[in-house]
Amino acid sequence: MTSIREEMWKTRGILFNFAITDLKIRYKNSVLGVAWSVLEPLLMLAVLFFVFSQMFKFEVENFPIYLLSGIITYNFFKNGTTIALSSLSNRSSLITQIYFPRSIPAISSIFTASIMLIVELAVLGVFMVYFQFTPSLTILYLIPIYILAFVFVLGIALGLSVLNVKFRDVEFIWGIILHAGFFLTPIFYRFDMLPEEIRNILQLSPVVQIVEMVHHVTLYGTLPSLNSILYSVGSVFIILVIGYLIFRRYQARIVEEL
Amino acid sequence: MSENSINVKNVSKKFRLYHEKRTTLFESIVGSINRKPHYETLQVLNDISFNVKKGESFGIVGRNGSGKTTLLRILSNIYQPDSGSVETNGIVVPVLALGLGFHPDLTAITNIYQSSILLGIPKDEMAKKIDAVIKFAELEKFADTKIKNFSSGMQMKLAFATAVQVDPAVLLLDEVVAVGDLNFQKKCLAVMKDFKKRGKSIVIVSHGPSDIENLCDRAMFLKDGIIESIGKPPEVLETYKNFMRTQDKLPYFKQLPF
Repeated sequence: MTSIREEMWKTRGILFNFAITDLKIRYKNSVLGVAWSVLEPLLMLAVLFFVFSQMFKFEVENFPIYLLSGIITYNFFKNGTTIALSSLSNRSSLITQIYFPRSIPAISSIFTASIMLIVELAVLGVFMVYFQFTPSLTILYLIPIYILAFVFVLGIALGLSVLNVKFRDVEFIWGIILHAGFFLTPIFYRFDMLPEEIRNILQLSPVVQIVEMVHHVTLYGTLPSLNSILYSVGSVFIILVIGYLIFRRYQARIVEEL
Repeated sequence: MSENSINVKNVSKKFRLYHEKRTTLFESIVGSINRKPHYETLQVLNDISFNVKKGESFGIVGRNGSGKTTLLRILSNIYQPDSGSVETNGIVVPVLALGLGFHPDLTAITNIYQSSILLGIPKDEMAKKIDAVIKFAELEKFADTKIKNFSSGMQMKLAFATAVQVDPAVLLLDEVVAVGDLNFQKKCLAVMKDFKKRGKSIVIVSHGPSDIENLCDRAMFLKDGIIESIGKPPEVLETYKNFMRTQDKLPYFKQLPF
């Protein structure tokens, strides 16, 4: 029996392979194909822009870019976790026939979401050019921020992928959580529009922290506060550990439940 | 023990046989309050020990549900045994009844790559062999067709052809010997002979006594998870046939060839 690390190394080629096939399967039989990963956030943007800037008259500076950067970041959480959620249960025929480390589907799901994120970020770039918005150099901090987001999604993905095999209702519960999270995250409103008591609760969410960091470095050219950075890194690390422990608890026997 | 490619020592495996399977969280909560035993354990394999030498072909017979497929899954590391140990030397490729874990929405070529990477053959190495796989499976016209449009025979041929090109140290065949038309069977036999000549081992699970008699050097009869007999194929098959006759309630059945 080889060690887990050795196995992971041997099958590393499959991470990318799974990520690509995930995309292929996701857009199978669709006329526009991968273009949907660009169109979906843009249509979302159009709806939110119309509702909140024309109907509710929210005043947010550079609203289209504010909206899009939030949508893209939230989409990364949404895509990564939902693809990971069904990554094991969708591969039941593969898992019952060939052995490979059970963590690979969850990890590759985040690579799939990362590919989509990169495409969406390119669209954000196009938007900046169109609206003649010049970001400051702090935008380079997006790289460590998204690495942090990656680790956050990894923790959740590992846990969800095995839990969804044990309990199929995890899928429905997670759908509701993602919906709620969208409204509770400053995507179409500014965080300081909220009353302070509510803000104090909401900022416990690493997603709120990360989306706010993205706003800071792309729109305002400022750095997030040290407290916010420390809190995010700490909470993301705790979530990774919890997710890994859940994964480790169930992974060996998961194939018998499929 | 380097002359053996498989060493199985005292392997036991239990499954939980759920009477009303709890798959939702709600059922699980209700069930934990209302503490009735909701499953019984089924001893699928009980203290199994055997080994397979290099260059040997080993047959396993037994009724449906006697633990044959479970044993193959343990040999290929898909299931973990509850106790006991399994040692295998080199790559083990299981061709189980459903193919090689092919995904219905991916093309033949994509599936070959996916399965072989999972089995430990890097993509660039497989790229050199991909034509041979397609040619062996006689699927030249269907290389870019999705697996869901394949007949079960075509899938089986593709699985066998892929397994051959992966060139494993141990080949596990579950009910796949009789696959394909006569010409394909002939090719399979030639390949298996060549495998044995090169010191590779084959484990064959089959319900056809003639397969075991013709192909195997040694055989084992599994009865309810216990080794009932092990040794030369004719003797093992004799015990198996006698056992099956005692189980047989239909008189006319006795006139069948075995």
